[in-house]
Amino acid sequence: MEYLPEFDLLRPNTVDEALSLRRERPDARFLAGGTDLIVNIRRGIAEPGTVIDLTGIAEIRRIARQDDGGLKIGAAVTLAELLERPELTDEYQALREAAAEVAASSHREVATVGGNLCLDTRCLYYNQSEWWRSANAYCLKHRGEVCHVAPSGKHCFAAFSGDLAPAIMALGGTAEIAGPDGRRTAPLGEIYQDDGAAHLRLADGEMISAVQLPAAGTWQSGYAKARVRAAIDFPLAGTAIALRTDGRALEDIRVALTGTNSCPILIAGTDRLLGEAVGEEMAEQLVAMLPKQIQPMSSTFTPPGYRRKVVANLARSLFQRLIEAP
Amino acid sequence: MSTPDKKPMVGRRAPLVDGVEKVSGRAKYTADLDHRGALVGRILRSPHSHAELLSVDVSKARALPGVIAVITGDDCDKPYGILPIAQNEYPLARERVRYRGEPVAAVAAVDEKTAEEALRLIRPEVRELPAYYEAGKARQPGAVDLHDDRPGNLEREIHHEFGEVDAGLSAADVVREETYDCAEVTHVHMEPHAALADYDAERDRITLHSVTQVPFYVHLRVAQCLDMDESRIRVIKPFIGGGFGARTETLNFEIVACLLARAAKGKVRMKLSREETALTHRGRPRTRIKLKIGMTREGKLTACACEVEQTGGAYGGYGIVTILYAGALLNAIYDIPAVRYDGYRVYTNTPACGAMRGHGTVDVRHAFECLLDTMATELGLDPFQVRRLNLLEAPTRTINDLVVESYGLPECLDWIEAVSGWKARKGGLPPGKGLGLACSHYVSGAAKPVHWTGEPHAVVNLKLDFDGGITILTGAADIGQGSSTILAQVVGEVLGLDFDRLTVIANDSRITPKDNGSYSSRVTFMVGNAALQAAERLKAVLVAAAARKLEAEPEDIECLGETYRVAGGQDSGISFKDVVSEALVDTGTITVKGTFTVPREYQGGKFRGAGVGPSMAYSYSATAAEVTVDEVTGRVTVDKVWVAHDCGFAINPLSVEGQVQGAVWMGLGQALSEETRYVAGLPVGPNILDYRVPTIVESPDIEVKIVESLDPGGPFGAKEASEGALSSILPAIANAVHDAMGVRLTETPLTPDRVMAALVKQARSAKPADARGAA
Amino acid sequence: MAKSILRLTVNGSGREDAVPANMLLVDYLREVAGLTGTKIGCDGGECGACTVLVDGRPRLSCISLAHTCAGRQVETVEGCATDGRLSLVQKGFHEKLGSQCGYCTPGMIMAASGLLRRNPRPSEAEIREALSGNICRCTGYVKIIEAVQAAAEGAP
Repeated sequence: MEYLPEFDLLRPNTVDEALSLRRERPDARFLAGGTDLIVNIRRGIAEPGTVIDLTGIAEIRRIARQDDGGLKIGAAVTLAELLERPELTDEYQALREAAAEVAASSHREVATVGGNLCLDTRCLYYNQSEWWRSANAYCLKHRGEVCHVAPSGKHCFAAFSGDLAPAIMALGGTAEIAGPDGRRTAPLGEIYQDDGAAHLRLADGEMISAVQLPAAGTWQSGYAKARVRAAIDFPLAGTAIALRTDGRALEDIRVALTGTNSCPILIAGTDRLLGEAVGEEMAEQLVAMLPKQIQPMSSTFTPPGYRRKVVANLARSLFQRLIEAP
Repeated sequence: MSTPDKKPMVGRRAPLVDGVEKVSGRAKYTADLDHRGALVGRILRSPHSHAELLSVDVSKARALPGVIAVITGDDCDKPYGILPIAQNEYPLARERVRYRGEPVAAVAAVDEKTAEEALRLIRPEVRELPAYYEAGKARQPGAVDLHDDRPGNLEREIHHEFGEVDAGLSAADVVREETYDCAEVTHVHMEPHAALADYDAERDRITLHSVTQVPFYVHLRVAQCLDMDESRIRVIKPFIGGGFGARTETLNFEIVACLLARAAKGKVRMKLSREETALTHRGRPRTRIKLKIGMTREGKLTACACEVEQTGGAYGGYGIVTILYAGALLNAIYDIPAVRYDGYRVYTNTPACGAMRGHGTVDVRHAFECLLDTMATELGLDPFQVRRLNLLEAPTRTINDLVVESYGLPECLDWIEAVSGWKARKGGLPPGKGLGLACSHYVSGAAKPVHWTGEPHAVVNLKLDFDGGITILTGAADIGQGSSTILAQVVGEVLGLDFDRLTVIANDSRITPKDNGSYSSRVTFMVGNAALQAAERLKAVLVAAAARKLEAEPEDIECLGETYRVAGGQDSGISFKDVVSEALVDTGTITVKGTFTVPREYQGGKFRGAGVGPSMAYSYSATAAEVTVDEVTGRVTVDKVWVAHDCGFAINPLSVEGQVQGAVWMGLGQALSEETRYVAGLPVGPNILDYRVPTIVESPDIEVKIVESLDPGGPFGAKEASEGALSSILPAIANAVHDAMGVRLTETPLTPDRVMAALVKQARSAKPADARGAA
Repeated sequence: MAKSILRLTVNGSGREDAVPANMLLVDYLREVAGLTGTKIGCDGGECGACTVLVDGRPRLSCISLAHTCAGRQVETVEGCATDGRLSLVQKGFHEKLGSQCGYCTPGMIMAASGLLRRNPRPSEAEIREALSGNICRCTGYVKIIEAVQAAAEGAP
C-alpha cells in the first residue's frame, strides 16, 4: 500500500454545494484531475484535511458558445475533452497548442482547465519527498525559513509551470470566479501574483469555475514550449502570442509567458509596436522587451540562463510563424 | 515415412517463454507476491552527507504500538560488498554515514502508517564531517577520508601501459588531446526495489524473494550479514522488472529485509519508493576523460593515452571493476599499437555507483569515438575510412592479452554505410541536420568469476520424467532480457524438440543449480554453453535408449526430435515418448548436468594489466545516427538510428533486435537527457520527471542489422547482444550534432541548455560584433 | 481510518468494498481486488505503469482516489483476455516482443487498448501520442509501436 495521510473526501454535485463545503472546512482543498494535488499530497507538500472532488459538478464540465461569439469553458473540462473541440483549432490555436503540450495524453484525460490554471508553483527544493525536504531544512514555500534558490531574501521563487494560462491571457481570456460572495470575473492575469509561495490571488474559499474567451475575430495565435522531452515535462519556458494585422501593420498583440516567474507574465509595452509594419525588425523589438520583465531563477534542473534565452527565441520564432501564417 | 518438417529452434524469432504471463498480468513480481500476514518494512535514511554516528535512539519507536521490530547498525556488524576485496558497507550504517539516503535504521510494523510514525520517532545523534560531492574535491589535500584505509579518498589508482606510447605519439603526424565530461546516470528499471523476507523462527531459516540479477551473490551476503549457514537460506527470484546492472550486487534493502524478518520473527515486505530506488543507485559514475590519440596522416592509429577519473560515491561496490574495465576496453576493438591508461576511482559523499549496462566502457568509448571523428575531420578523412584502416584481424591477441576469435565489425561498417546513405548524404544534409558514426564492443561474460571457487562458470540441469516433459533448471536470472527463452531454444535445438516439451525453472536456490547471475552479458555465452552440453548429454541417453529399443547401435540412431529411427532404414522409427519410457527403465527420472568453464587461455595473461577485461568473445557494433538540432530551443532530436551488431549468431533474432534496440535507446537517453545531479549530496531528480528517461514521442526508429561472425566458442556461435551497442550511440549522436552545427560538445548529456550555450559561443566567435548571433 | 462503501465495476463484475477515502485506485485494485497486474513504477504520475481504463479512457490509477471511480467501469490488464485467450493487443505485445521485462506492459496494453477503441486504425504518430505517458526502459519503444500496429492490423 502506498502511504497517504488521512483526509475526508467529499463529492458535491453543484458549485454552491462545493463552496459551502469549503466554507465549513477551512482545511479543505479542491480536487479535479489530481495530477497535481494527489502527487503533492503523496509528497507531503499538500496536507488537506478534506478533499473536495469537483469532477461530479456538471455545470463546470461544459463548453458553451457565448452570445458575443466567445467561448465559455468550464473549469472541470478535461484537457482531452478540450482538445476534441473544433473551435480550438479554428479560433483559439494558442489554447489548443498549449493544451496539447501539457504532460502526456493519459494525464490530459483527467487534468482540467481549472487545475492547470491553479497548478501549484514548482521548484526543485519543493517538489520532493518529506525525507528530502526535511534533510534540507525544508524551504520558504513549505515549513521552512529559507528559500534555497535565493537564500538571502524572504521571497519564494518557485516557478509557475502551467501551459494554459499564457495562452488564455494572450487570447484575452477572463476567469469566472465563484466564491462565498457570489461570482465575479477578472482578466485571467489578475488572479496571479509573482510570489512562489502565494501565486494565486483567489480569496479564501474561492474557486475558478470557468474561463471565458472573447470572440476570436481575426486574431492569430499560437503557443510554443521549451522542454527537454517531447512529452510529460513541464515547460522550462513557454510563450503564447495572439496578434492581429491588416496584412502589413500590427493592429493588436498580446504576449504572455510561462515558466519564467512565479506567475504567468503578460508582457507590457507591446502597444509601442501597434501600427508598425510586421517583420523581422518587429520581432527583435518584441524580444528586446522580455528580459526586464522576466526573472527565471535556479528553481529548475535546467539552469535559468537557458530559460531566459529560450523564452526569447520562442517568442521570436512564434511571432515569425504567426505573421507568416496565411 | 518422410522426415518430419523440423523447424529449427535456434535462429527462430521466438516470443518469450514467459511472455504470456507478462502480457496477461499474471506475472508476479516481488511486490505482487502473496504478503498476507507480512509486516511492513521501512528504512530510515540519513539526512546527512557525512557524519559520525554517535547514537541512534530507537526507544520511542520500539514503544509505539504496532511496531514489531526496530533495528540499527548494532544489529549487523558484518560488512558486505560485491567484491571480496572491497567489502566496506554495512546494511545499516555503523559509526559513520557517508551519503544522504544511507540506511540508518529500519522498522517492521503492522501497517504503513505505523511504520512511518515509527521512523519519525527514531533519533540519530551525529557529529557532521566535511562532505565531498565531486572527485576533485575529495582528492584535495587535507580532505577527510571517507574510509580510513583509503587515503586521499582514492578507492583505486591504476597505471597500465601496453606498447611504447611515447614512441607511438612521436611517430604520429597528428596528436590531439581533449577532455570529456560525462554526467552520472542511473538505471531506472521500471520496477522499484522490493523484497519479501520470511523468517521461520522454529527452524531458523529464511526465505527471501528479491528483485536481484544475482540471486547467488545475494544468498552469500545474506548468510554473511545474518551470520547464518548458507543452507538455512533460500533465495527466490520472481519476475524482475529490469535491472540493467543496478541489481548485480547485493543491495542494502535485501539484507535489511532479512534482518528485520529475523528480528520480528516473521515475514516482512519491503517496497522501496522510486526515490529510495534512486538513492540505492549503483549507476554509471560521473566520468572525466582526458584522452590523447596519435594518428598518421592517412588515419592509422599510432598510440593512445587515456586518463579517467570517476566520482564513485560512498562505497566500493563494483568500483574497482568499473575503473579497470574503463581502461582495458580501450583495446580489442581497433588495432592500437600502444595504450597507456591512468585510472582514478574516487570516494565521494554521494550514493554509491556500480555496474550499469555497458559497464566501464561507455564514457571512455564515447570520448574515443568523438576524438577519432574530430581528428578525421581535421585530416579530411572519412570517418568510415579511419575506422576501416584500424580494424583488427581475428583471430588475434591484443597488447593487453585479450583474445579476439570473431570480429564482425567490418560487415557492421559496410551495412551502416550503405543503409544510411552515407556517401551520398553526408555533408549534403539541410541546415540543422547531421549524420554521425561510431563503433563499440563488449565482453560476452567476464572470463574471471567474482569468486575464485574452482567451480564451473555455469551449470544447467535437465530433468526428464515419465510425462515426456523436459525441465530446464537454471540459476540464470531472467530479468526481462529473455535468457530463459534462449536456454529453451538451445536445449530444444539439440534435442529436436519444440517449446511444448520444455519448461524453464529459473532461480530458486533450493531447486536450481547455482549461477553467478545476469551481468557482464555472460548468460547466453556461458549458461548457453552449459545448456548445450546438458542437452547433448541428455540426447546421448535418449539415443542409447532408442538403440536398445530398435536393436541398433547408438551411432546409427537418427534423432528427429519427436521420432528416433535407424538412419537410412525404411522403418518409421519410434516416438519420443517410447524412447523416454525405454530410457526410464531401471533408472527412473533422468537428470543430466551440463557445465561450462572458460578455458585458462582466455582468462588473461600474467603481465601487469593483462587479466583485466578478458572474455572468450567480444561483440561488435557500428551505429549511425541522423539528428536535427533545433536552433530555437537547442533541442537535439534523433530522427533515425541504424545499428549493426555482431552477436556471433542470433539464437533468437527477435530477441537480439529487442536487446540491441533497448541498449541503443538507453544510450540515447544518456546522450540527450539523462543525468543525476546533487545539491549538497541530495539528488535533485530522484524520480522519472527530472531524471529524464526518453518518452516514446521523441524516441527514434532504430533499425537493426544482425551480423553473424560465428564465434568458435559461443553456443551455435553466439556472443552477447545486450550491452555492446549502447556505447556506440553516444558518440554517434555527438558526431552527428557536430555534423549538423559545426561545434563539438564535450559534455554529456547534450541537453538543450548545453547545446544552446555551444550555439551562442559559436555565434559569438563567428561574429564578434553581433553578440546576439544565431541563437 | 473510517471506510465507506465503494461500488463500481471492475473487469465487468460489480464490486462493493469498504474503502478508506485516501485509498488510491491502484491500491484498491492491487490490495483489495487482488489484481496485481496493474503496476506501480514511480511515486506518482510519472511513468504510466499503473494505467487502467475508466469508462474506456486511460487513467493513471496511482494518482486517482478509488472513491472518485464510484459507479464507473474500471478495466485492468486482467480483464483483456476473452475466454482465457489473449486480446489482439496482448497478442501483439507478446508476439512482437513489445514486452521485455514486462513491468510497463500492463500499463502500455491498457493505454493501447484505449487508443484502439477510439481509433481502430491509428497512425504511428497517434500511437506515440497515446503512449506518451508510458515509460518503458527495455524496448526503446520500437517493438511496442510494432505491437500496437500488429494489433490494429489484426482487428476485423
